[in-house]
Amino acid sequence: MADAGGQQLFDMWKKQVEEGSQAWLRMLSTPQAAPMDPQAFWRPFMDQGMAAWSKVMTQGQAPPDLMAQWKQFLDQWIAAWSKVLEQAMGTEAFAKTLGKQMEGFLNTAGPAKKAVDQQVEVSLAGLGLASRSQLIAVAQQIIQLEEKIEGVEDKLDAVLRRLDAVGGPR
Amino acid sequence: MKDELFTMAVPELPGVSPEVRARWQEEVNRNFLRMKHFSEMVMNPKEPALGPTPRQEIYRRNKSRLYRYESKRTHRTPVLFVPNLGISRPYIFDLMPKGSFMEHMTQQGFDMYLVDWGIFGPEDNGLSFEDVVTKILPRMAQKALESSGAREISVLGYCMGAPISASFLGANPEFPLKNFVNMAGPIDFAHAGLFAQWLDARYFDVDKYVDTMGTIPADMVKAGFKLLKPTMDLSTNINLWWNLWNPEYVSGFSALNKWANEYLPFPGEFFRQWVKDFYQQNRLVRGELRMGGRPVSLRNIHAPVLAVGAKEDNIAPPGCVKPLITAVSSTDREYMELPGGHISLIAGRGASVHCWPKVASWLAARS
Repeated sequence: MADAGGQQLFDMWKKQVEEGSQAWLRMLSTPQAAPMDPQAFWRPFMDQGMAAWSKVMTQGQAPPDLMAQWKQFLDQWIAAWSKVLEQAMGTEAFAKTLGKQMEGFLNTAGPAKKAVDQQVEVSLAGLGLASRSQLIAVAQQIIQLEEKIEGVEDKLDAVLRRLDAVGGPR
Repeated sequence: MKDELFTMAVPELPGVSPEVRARWQEEVNRNFLRMKHFSEMVMNPKEPALGPTPRQEIYRRNKSRLYRYESKRTHRTPVLFVPNLGISRPYIFDLMPKGSFMEHMTQQGFDMYLVDWGIFGPEDNGLSFEDVVTKILPRMAQKALESSGAREISVLGYCMGAPISASFLGANPEFPLKNFVNMAGPIDFAHAGLFAQWLDARYFDVDKYVDTMGTIPADMVKAGFKLLKPTMDLSTNINLWWNLWNPEYVSGFSALNKWANEYLPFPGEFFRQWVKDFYQQNRLVRGELRMGGRPVSLRNIHAPVLAVGAKEDNIAPPGCVKPLITAVSSTDREYMELPGGHISLIAGRGASVHCWPKVASWLAARS
């Protein structure tokens, strides 16, 4: 009896996920028809969820693994959402919008970053401290030096190997 | 305080079966444990112990390091593990005892060499993909060979480490390669999923991006990955709540969560070349790539090849991993598609069951 109740509840949840996803897809497929109504999106989920819980409360047939079923419902609900979002984000329109947003960000961030960098350089110079660009230049020189030392090591290794090969002293 | 103190008997109610009552009793107990562990996580968070497998530093260059994980070496050929550069730290491969790929492989008798690319700063912005393939990786591979005394070595590339390794191997046919394993590494970027779509040259101006930002900040990298799976944080938190009663889960979660929130920046020039040559022009699989003046041809790979894709991988979907098999000249080649996502393919409980034993046994037969 309890298992049958659980199965029924689970079926209702599944239906709820499917109907909610369909509502969301319908809204995505008609973007200009009407302004987005978040309530319309949530309603199928909430209505069916409430109906399911009411039934459990009134009939008093809580299945023993109600929590596990609730977790399963949540997982499926998130998976359904994830699928819908993935479909929406996989469209050319989304990529185009993302690109435009990034371009807008760079148009703002670029000059702002440059101004801040210049200001910081001037301030540090005024305090007689090494600037960021000077520190970066020193770090780059250390990296180049490391590369040169490695080059010399390589050459020495090659010479030693040749000496070994001809049986010379090492 | 002991867990047994958190008990509260569910009262006997008329019409409620013993089965339901027992289940609810268990749930009540679990809820107390959830509260206890949650309080501990908030009030007294423990720093997870990471990287438990013993290792030695063999070589270092600038920020990059090469580590050796020594085994009893029942297999003659060592393995050079090349992970992704930037994005995340490599301690995910040695996360915790009994949850470590490196530990598993060393227990199976493989000497493992792990490349840790390090955390690059603005002074490294000039470092390109080509520099990594022609200057850093060859030296790492050479040092691994010298350290092991082996004449040949297997290369295992994970994620971006696979195209880095494939570029190196494709440009250096003389390299003593014993086996090549590609784990969740994109090869054919025409099938690289959402990232390929978002980084399309029509929408994403990588030159402007790199010229403006210089270093690609870790926060930007994080934003990109979060956008790829917007429900990830929600499902992670729900799963945490669900399993919060289980101390083993909580300990694993702490380690994984630390790693998952530690994003790394990209050197600017590296990112430029990575996006242009791979995502936008797909030059590796087309055979149009040149590194250090040499053509990069996957046909130059003749050693046995294993490609492993993850069914739920949205970073490197199976469709972009599998084409390695047809692009190489190897006669001994195999593709496996395993359950899990990009990370769970190689880290976590599922990986220890589905992935590690298969990779180890494939390599064991050829090492």
